[in-house]
Amino acid sequence: MLDTILQAYKDAVYDTDKEAAFEVVDAALDQGVSPEDIVFKVVIPAVETMMAEITKDPDTNLAQHFMTAQIAAEVTEKMLAKFQHPPAIVGRIVIGTAAGDLHSLGKRIVSGCLKALMVEVFDIGVNVRPERFVEAALEHDAQVIAISAMMVHTATGEDGCRKVRELLREQGLEHRFRLVVGGAPYRFDNELYKSVGADAWAPDGVSAGKIIIDQILAVKPLEVKPS
Amino acid sequence: MTPLEILTAAVNGAPAPRIPVFCNLFDHGAGELGISAKEYFSRGENVAEGQLRLRARYGQDNVWSLFYVGKEAELFGCQDILFSDNGPPNVASFVINDYDDIAKLEVPEDITAHPAWAETGKCLDILRREVGATHPICAYVTASSTLPSILMGMEKWMELLLSGPADVRDELLRKCSDFFQKEVAAYRAGGANVLVYSTPFGSTSFVGAKRFREFSIPWMKRDLAPGGIGGIVYYCGMAPFNNVIDTVMDEFGIGAYYISPQADLAEAKAIIGPRALTCGVIDDIKMIHWTAEQTRAEVKRMCDIGKPGGHFLFGNGVMPLAVPEENIRAMVDSAMEFGATP
Repeated sequence: MLDTILQAYKDAVYDTDKEAAFEVVDAALDQGVSPEDIVFKVVIPAVETMMAEITKDPDTNLAQHFMTAQIAAEVTEKMLAKFQHPPAIVGRIVIGTAAGDLHSLGKRIVSGCLKALMVEVFDIGVNVRPERFVEAALEHDAQVIAISAMMVHTATGEDGCRKVRELLREQGLEHRFRLVVGGAPYRFDNELYKSVGADAWAPDGVSAGKIIIDQILAVKPLEVKPS
Repeated sequence: MTPLEILTAAVNGAPAPRIPVFCNLFDHGAGELGISAKEYFSRGENVAEGQLRLRARYGQDNVWSLFYVGKEAELFGCQDILFSDNGPPNVASFVINDYDDIAKLEVPEDITAHPAWAETGKCLDILRREVGATHPICAYVTASSTLPSILMGMEKWMELLLSGPADVRDELLRKCSDFFQKEVAAYRAGGANVLVYSTPFGSTSFVGAKRFREFSIPWMKRDLAPGGIGGIVYYCGMAPFNNVIDTVMDEFGIGAYYISPQADLAEAKAIIGPRALTCGVIDDIKMIHWTAEQTRAEVKRMCDIGKPGGHFLFGNGVMPLAVPEENIRAMVDSAMEFGATP
């Protein structure tokens, strides 16, 4: 039964049909499927499928990425409220857009996918000063600082990732936090992330889920309890 | 031949000494005049002077009447632009913050009478007077399906487009399309003759094939129908769109396509052939780290693909300020050299 539900849910997400995706979830609940199974056996596999599709099929599009994240985050939030016990979380990240950058779409897609993948996401907004990224990472005991930048000057400028790296170095925090970047400039120049001091980059919001989890596990392989 | 005649020859497939060479420089004007970005963009005279000086410095064929993309939001009442001396200005506060704002949104009756158009108008007047007879004057016009992203933010727009109330979405699109029709007419009347139609939702990198057919095409038709396709350049905000070129040609007959650096240029040229102008676009973000020789090699590669058979233009995206001056010079010079016809 779960295979059928998973396929129907994936079809709805692939068609960017949020209403249909929720109908699949509601019908599954009516059939007695547990909220835990909906998250771990439907939502998460669907996000993982989309990650794989993106790698294989360059024709996946922004609308699909957006709706994958949006639907996954909303379904997960709804199901979590019904869980018997809070689930183990994979890790924590702080995410924001670089100073001077007001483009929030990428950040939202990343956050949506990560929430569904049991990562605690602390969204610190747009136009974030480098100092704030570090403060927030310390405050939330995060493993990853994710910085989104849609413009070349905010991706490569002195107040972006470059400065966050410098602050981590100065404060002796490089062992505690990994830096991950994303946004249009990195897609056009795949080596750009290195020049700004990031540990990794993601070509799109959905793929960022796996890349960020890999970085979380590189810092903190142990399970952490929800805060 | 003048650059304008060279462009016309390329569009028509007529003989010319070389291909047209465009170099899009927007934020560089402030540095050229030695003033801040905020001051530079505050006056049409500055932008026109910046464009003329940059053209004289590098020798490209085109000049631009675009200040920054957020200018269109200003025509809808946006008064908060975030300026930077290191990159393009951005809309800092949106004119649509909730769906009720869409009902209140007003399309200016006469765009050219709107205070936010005044400086653009001055810039166009100067460019037309100084180089209008000899050089292409470019304008940037945002498609109705994309304009909401600068009025409410891309995030909120995607939400409304994909899962919001259809009547609210369509009301916004109608207003944006009405605005487009007026704006493109104003640019044409002002002397712009290369009208870059920015339509990222006209690429299947943004929406799937079904939504492209059922949503993007009808709204593009509404945008373009009254004014026609004269001077229109199909541009998807640097997203690839090779797979829809045939459809766009069949549906609209648009005569120029600004190909993404992430698309296969040879494939695009083969699809378009002599039917329209293929615009090869260099990846100017990579130019930040390239040497002049690497830039030159890439220009040669592109010209080798595009020049045979004519109907080819060389161009770039939105040149970042971080690109070294010698690379910009190498790009323009080598495009002139490798784009020359024997």
